[in-house]
Amino acid sequence: MSENFLEIKNVNFSAGGKTKLKNVSFNIKNKGDIICLLGPSGVGKTTILRTIAGLEKIESGSIKLKDNILSSAKDHIEPENRNISLSFQENSLFPHYTVEKNIYLGTEAKKLNRKKKINPKKVIKLLNIEKILSKYPHQISAGEAQRAALARSLVTQPDLLLLDEPLSNVDQSFKEEIQVELKQLLNNSKITTIIVTHDSYEAFYLGTKCGIILNGQLRQYDDPYNVYHFPNSKEVVNFLNRGILIPAKVTGENSLENQDLGTIKGNFIKHYPKGSNVQLLLQPEDLEHDDRSNLKLEVVDRKFRGTNFIYTLKTNSNLLIPVFVHSHHIHQHEVDEKFGIKRPINIEHIVCF
Amino acid sequence: MRINTWYISSLLISIVVIIPILTVFSSFFEDTSNYFEILKQSFFLEYVFNSLTLLIGVMFLTFILGVGSAYTVSFYQFPGANFFKWALILSFAVPPYIYAYSLFAFFENYGTAFTILKFLFGEGNYNKHIPKFSGMFGLMLSISFSLYAYVYILARSSFLYQSQNLIELGKNLGFSKFKSFYSIILPAARPAIVAGLSLVAMETLAEFGAVDFFSVNTLTTGIYNAWIAFDDLAFANRISFFLLLFIFILFLTENLSRKKARYHLDTKGGFKKKQKIKLCGRKSFFAFAFCFILFFLSFLFPLSQMLYWTIKFPENLNDLQIIDLLLNTLYLVSLSSLVLIFFALISNYGNRVSNKKFLNILSTLSISGYAIPGVILAIAFITFVAWFDENIIKTLGFLSIKKIFIGSILGLVIVYFVRFYSLAFNGIKSGYEKMNIAVDESAYLLGYSKTRTFLNIHIPYLRNSLLFVIILISLEIVRELPITLILRPFNFETFATTAYISASEDLLEAAAVPSLCLIIIASFFILLTSKYILRDNDE
Repeated sequence: MSENFLEIKNVNFSAGGKTKLKNVSFNIKNKGDIICLLGPSGVGKTTILRTIAGLEKIESGSIKLKDNILSSAKDHIEPENRNISLSFQENSLFPHYTVEKNIYLGTEAKKLNRKKKINPKKVIKLLNIEKILSKYPHQISAGEAQRAALARSLVTQPDLLLLDEPLSNVDQSFKEEIQVELKQLLNNSKITTIIVTHDSYEAFYLGTKCGIILNGQLRQYDDPYNVYHFPNSKEVVNFLNRGILIPAKVTGENSLENQDLGTIKGNFIKHYPKGSNVQLLLQPEDLEHDDRSNLKLEVVDRKFRGTNFIYTLKTNSNLLIPVFVHSHHIHQHEVDEKFGIKRPINIEHIVCF
Repeated sequence: MRINTWYISSLLISIVVIIPILTVFSSFFEDTSNYFEILKQSFFLEYVFNSLTLLIGVMFLTFILGVGSAYTVSFYQFPGANFFKWALILSFAVPPYIYAYSLFAFFENYGTAFTILKFLFGEGNYNKHIPKFSGMFGLMLSISFSLYAYVYILARSSFLYQSQNLIELGKNLGFSKFKSFYSIILPAARPAIVAGLSLVAMETLAEFGAVDFFSVNTLTTGIYNAWIAFDDLAFANRISFFLLLFIFILFLTENLSRKKARYHLDTKGGFKKKQKIKLCGRKSFFAFAFCFILFFLSFLFPLSQMLYWTIKFPENLNDLQIIDLLLNTLYLVSLSSLVLIFFALISNYGNRVSNKKFLNILSTLSISGYAIPGVILAIAFITFVAWFDENIIKTLGFLSIKKIFIGSILGLVIVYFVRFYSLAFNGIKSGYEKMNIAVDESAYLLGYSKTRTFLNIHIPYLRNSLLFVIILISLEIVRELPITLILRPFNFETFATTAYISASEDLLEAAAVPSLCLIIIASFFILLTSKYILRDNDE
């Protein structure tokens, strides 16, 4: 008997007759875990949710929930019998019912446990939709419709909640507030959730685990911290776009050498023999600014990102390296100026490919 | 393998509807009597020539009347504009054959026009000065005034949804009002206008009552005569085939001429409500006069003529079993609407949930029934029943089933079903198209089965579409003539058949009462639908 809450084993995910993802396996170990799936558009993230919900069938592998087979080549439990709720990215509210009726329809359809862990009124308040309860879907904004659909999914108290880009239409100012409260609500009610998102910060914040889907495969499935700091492939690095790969030579147990940056020290997460030529992952926070340093690089671009500036620096061999600098830094550097990098360069975890 | 009941039901419905249509096509390969040879040498070319002349004339007139009136009420504000917006669709209540009776009766020797002149100016020889609207010209006018509303409704809705941005763009480019109209407004409304004209074309080719009244030989009357006079079903079907080919070429030409041009942009966020131009003085008077004359000629004139006769010859009112006729009409309307709605709903839902290409193609073919004239459908139905009875039923040793289907309410409802199935199917389909498929999926995920989703989510959602479809079907059935005439049971009359029979016996005065009743009932249905037909973007 499996110990996993949800088990997806060797499944090919297809939609509209096209195979989107091949041989995907992953588990959700505990009830109440939140899993975030990240990947570029069209890669098949939504297909995974639709298949788990029972809206698409599978031809190989199996999907089990609490040790019961939901889908396999032979079996297919209809969506209405799965107690899985899916909140769609696009507006899926019933257009002829008010927002309130939409939310309570779910509770009417399913005979819910009287010991309600989720109070609909609380959900409505949390998602800040009290004022639109009497309105019809065509009278509300896309963000409000998305929140109403999310409320409808939540109040049904599903065994598994699937959220497809749940906050993509929500205003940025309100998004973070909802993220905090949504996480609290999901944690308190112990609803196991899979969230599809393209926002890596959202995924890193909400997820107990994150899955990175690239080129028809689940490339990495790990804790958010590990996904960010220890990406397992160049493709994941490129997708997360949080650093660059630069050529380096392993010079010792804890050091590498790059022809432009010189010696770089730190802890390798994987052993490489001395003298190996590798590609080193350099993330924007790995380099520190130091005007007194004799390692000077040319500024080719500067982006203001509120709390940070991101400087793009050009090395002698024309590599473009991003560097974070706190925006309250004492002075700013203009494009074409020289920018000093503190030496020696120390990186906590050295990730190479 | 699991049997999908929705799929099977939908498939069966489409097949039933498509049988008479296929019968017409298959008839082309059958032998006919030598009348075909005779007609080919004599009348056949006349049938084709007259049909073409009529078609071109009617399309030209309906284009001018429909687009002109739609443009006037959509772009300009003038006294009475809001009234004409809906009043102009009332012409639908007057079928071409009733318009023909009125037109003929008004201008005939010693007709209503004569009486008015006599009343105003005393005795005189007015007959030679009164124009005579009979034959092809009278027919064109009758059909055009009755059917221009198709073009009016569709063009108007297209004009209404043209963004102000488009019009402002014209001004910005320095276009005059006329240039803006023909190079921006008109091309953007082209699909809607063409759709309206296609409906007019189909109805014109299918028209029977008015064509018969003015004794113009067209393909439709040819079909009827081949069946009634020569008793040659195969020949009737063969002419039908040519008529269908005609309609098919019409559609194909339009589709090919369009190529890949798009006539609208997604208006998400870019739609700007149009500002109507306020007309004053002479311009305002002309706009009012144009709309009023059109409203008068298309609706008030035939209504008044029928009302005048009804008052002048009250004995006809007593001779007529109005209650019986009303009950017969309502009986047909309610039974047919119920059957049509029921099956069109199942078929639409079957298409939606099974999402099979084959079924979609079959459904598309099955709705072509509306393009086939009622005369053809009725004859095709008789042909099919006769063939089935002869080759299947009798071979199996059963009693003939002809009486069950021919000259019975059942047969009548089946052919109405085939003819008006596209109205019901498309009406419900357009309701469904506004509903994202994610709505169904959400319902399943909330625990609703397919049947419960259909009953609890779809039916309430489609309520307005269903109501609209019912009214539309009712309107069509009240006005319908040839199918009822051919397939009705003995002694079963409607307002339409009674009016036709009186008129064909040269008792036009007697046709007035049933015609008036028909106009009143049809107007009632039109007023009920106007809310849907004339939905504005600002309403």
